[in-house]
Amino acid sequence: MQHRRGALLVALALALTGVFATALAAPRPAQALTTEKATARPNEDGGDGVIGGMDTRLTWEGTVEPGEEVTSVTLSLPEGSTFDGSTTRITALEGLKRMDVTGEAVPAGSSLTVSFDQAIPEGSLLRLEITNMQFPSEGGECVVSGTYESAGATHELADSKPIETIANTPLQSIVNWLDEQPWVEAWNSNQFLGMFLKPQLLVTSFSSLAPGWILCLGIVVAAYPFAIALGLLFAMLKISKWRILRAVAVVYINVLRGTPLFLQIYIMFFGLPMLNINIDNNLLGIIVMAINSSAYLAEIFRAGIQSIPQGQYEAASSLGMNYVQTMFTIILPQTIRRVIPTVTSDFITAFKDTSLLSSVGVMELMMFSKNLTTVTGNITPYVAAGIFYLIVTLPLIKVVGIVEENIARSERGSGPRPKRRADVADSAAAQMKEAADAC
Amino acid sequence: MKLSCRFAGGLAVACALALTISGCSGGGQTSAPTTSDDAAEAAYTLVEDGTITVASDLANAPLDFVDEKTGEAQGFEIDLINAVADKLGLECEVLPAMKFDTIVPLIEQGGKADVGVSNITITDARMEQVDFTDSYMDSNQGLVTLAASADVTEDDLNVEGTKIAVQAGTTGASWAEENLPNAEIVALDDPVVAVTGVQTGLYAAAVADLPVMTYLCSNSFTDCAVAIEIPTGEQYGIAVNKDNPGLTEAINGALAELEEEGYISELEVKWLGAEL
Repeated sequence: MQHRRGALLVALALALTGVFATALAAPRPAQALTTEKATARPNEDGGDGVIGGMDTRLTWEGTVEPGEEVTSVTLSLPEGSTFDGSTTRITALEGLKRMDVTGEAVPAGSSLTVSFDQAIPEGSLLRLEITNMQFPSEGGECVVSGTYESAGATHELADSKPIETIANTPLQSIVNWLDEQPWVEAWNSNQFLGMFLKPQLLVTSFSSLAPGWILCLGIVVAAYPFAIALGLLFAMLKISKWRILRAVAVVYINVLRGTPLFLQIYIMFFGLPMLNINIDNNLLGIIVMAINSSAYLAEIFRAGIQSIPQGQYEAASSLGMNYVQTMFTIILPQTIRRVIPTVTSDFITAFKDTSLLSSVGVMELMMFSKNLTTVTGNITPYVAAGIFYLIVTLPLIKVVGIVEENIARSERGSGPRPKRRADVADSAAAQMKEAADAC
Repeated sequence: MKLSCRFAGGLAVACALALTISGCSGGGQTSAPTTSDDAAEAAYTLVEDGTITVASDLANAPLDFVDEKTGEAQGFEIDLINAVADKLGLECEVLPAMKFDTIVPLIEQGGKADVGVSNITITDARMEQVDFTDSYMDSNQGLVTLAASADVTEDDLNVEGTKIAVQAGTTGASWAEENLPNAEIVALDDPVVAVTGVQTGLYAAAVADLPVMTYLCSNSFTDCAVAIEIPTGEQYGIAVNKDNPGLTEAINGALAELEEEGYISELEVKWLGAEL
């Protein structure tokens, strides 16, 4: 047992000296050019990943140490990367001041040599932006290494922190496949089609806009029950007997209907945080949408309630019902049927209006498409967003039409509209005739 | 659509004269006005004859922004493009403000505006879409936080759950995406909205062009401060449609003259407080 412990101790001691020795033997070589960082621009369409095998931009930064000058830099990436066909932008800065530096970049497979026309002086920050280079298509962590030339001698560059890259995604493969199709090229060569309906972008847009679409729907669906409840409340207040309640409702409804939703969003999103009230953006979006819609719904409900003929109230009171009973069992059920088309239209409006929330950073449909348009410089993501909106609005518009038709039919009886409403005899005769025809 | 060369040349000379005279403001200098022959000779097309139509987001004070009182476009770049138009013997019309991320596509598309002047950094990616004139100004990026928390570092911000506001489509936006991958990058319409969000605590920080951020922090948002100056050494250029190389050339000629005359330095003093 003791023997074993002794062996362990020896091993430990050996390991420790080993660590020490390597630390002493390989001190960090004095660098004339210190690697500051290396980053890559995300190139995943509609995402933030760096995909290998696709064009992206590598930015490498290094500082020239005091007493040194650098005449050329060679950057190397893991096997499989390529700098072929890339363009390099050379920037040298002294503090924040840009220096006039020119040079030439020569790509050679997975390495790139940049030689400067004049040596980069000490203390300056060297930035190399290499556009249209590619990382290995299998992805993985990529370390930028390389060499530099200083005073005629070549030295090793310190490795950069690894850049995370990923292999191609299935979606990206579809896009790449589309890229190669001749018909796609022909389609895109038409300026209009290429700008508004680029197939590759439609594909990526549909996948990357989906979360925004879900959020839009989520916001408006969550907001609507509250909007209906609030709207009903204010509708009742507005037809109340008491002047003060009416005044409250009138102010609420008129202010909200009379100001743009955009303004209301700004007030809520920038105003509340100033009062130290911090609500989650999405929740705040729901609140704003609910409040805004409630004002419109209040008017719709009020009009609906007042459209119920006075006779209904009289009939109810003749049955001994009080006001509340009359309201909830006689008037409102009829109102609901009448306002369904208008409420649905308002729902459609509210759904579209969620797009305004993009201006305050809610990650909804417009926000996603805006980001995508930004990255691609193409209008197609907006068109894709339009299609997403239509997926919801078109069926609803259809529903409005059907419901309206049904209501109209039921209100005038199932037969054709009589010429004179009062002429009961006529319509009865017509109905009988119809029945006879049907037989 | 071809510009009558002689007419344009004559106008350019006249305008250059007028400009020099007004520029000297009674000073004793009598520098002979340089003619812009080579600039005017280049053939180019314009959306509207005799007028250079300018697209800008007008949201980047002090470079391009809207005067609160008159509602007119003003700023370093607006003065600059007006001077360029004068040199070329053209009128200058600045279109109503548009979103920054639509300007380069708009110029690429053509037909709506001749030039994009909206502190657009010359990048290789953008150069695939449009042509750029020579640079008229160097710039960097600035990261703004509340003045109280201005001692943050990039690492502090590069954590899950931090929200960084940027202007959509800018080099600031792509800097943030690249360098703060863990933070949530929120792309907004303009830097003013971004900094407003920082002021109200909606976002931890905002990233945009340094001259703009410096101006905003010292004028409108005094409780915010530029916490990190990010050296990027980028350069602004005027974006021109690729099918209109004559215009790029003509503007380059005018810019070179303005530089020589010291007008650009004058503008720097006027709008940025000091020569760059």
